[in-house]
Amino acid sequence: MVQIYNDYKDHADFLTVYVREAHPTDEWQMKSNVKDDVCYAQPKTLAQRVAIANDFIKRFNYPIAFGIDDINNAANDAYAAWPERLYVIDESGRIAYRGGMGPFHYDPDEVRAWLAARYGAVKHDPPPAASSAPVASLGSPK
Amino acid sequence: MTLFWKWTIAVFLVLLLAAFLVLCKMAGSPKDAYGMVRYAFPHMHRGTLKVGDDAPDARLVALDGSDHFHIRERTGGRPLVIIFGSYT
Repeated sequence: MVQIYNDYKDHADFLTVYVREAHPTDEWQMKSNVKDDVCYAQPKTLAQRVAIANDFIKRFNYPIAFGIDDINNAANDAYAAWPERLYVIDESGRIAYRGGMGPFHYDPDEVRAWLAARYGAVKHDPPPAASSAPVASLGSPK
Repeated sequence: MTLFWKWTIAVFLVLLLAAFLVLCKMAGSPKDAYGMVRYAFPHMHRGTLKVGDDAPDARLVALDGSDHFHIRERTGGRPLVIIFGSYT
């Protein structure tokens, strides 16, 4: 998503909303998170959620505007967002694109296609060979 | 036990086993299948929003942990791409 942001930030606004953790240590932890040293318990307080969000921002030098869902999960509930989902809201405040539920139906290329249809495609060279850099759900370079 | 009930139970068990194997395949392992059922399914919701609906509002907290803003404050001028997700 960062690449899409860089390609279209002059045309559209971007907002990341951090919602409840998908694979915390005290729930369904993934081996990949242990390998990448992304090990957090499910936040029980807003302060814990804010702390994890800041860790994420610092680790990836994340450039996209960021908001944190309150501990009552209001944004998550309103948008059926968990574990990850993409939306595009148009200028009139209506939903113009609603992505599928992640991770299986989370597809940044659909957002890119929506933006490309409006503002033109931005082409890139093919990506280099697979990197060993850690991959976070919000930090995917796609 | 009648033959009917024996077959019914057998078919049920086979379907149960098949569902478990599919979950293991999707999740990666039996442990992950348990995690998916126990922790993921209860929080996965399709929701009712569809293209053309008014975007719901919600209050978000800024990274400093004290300031707040609303999603709808960010809409109106240009299209807004919203990326929902977490660290893990």
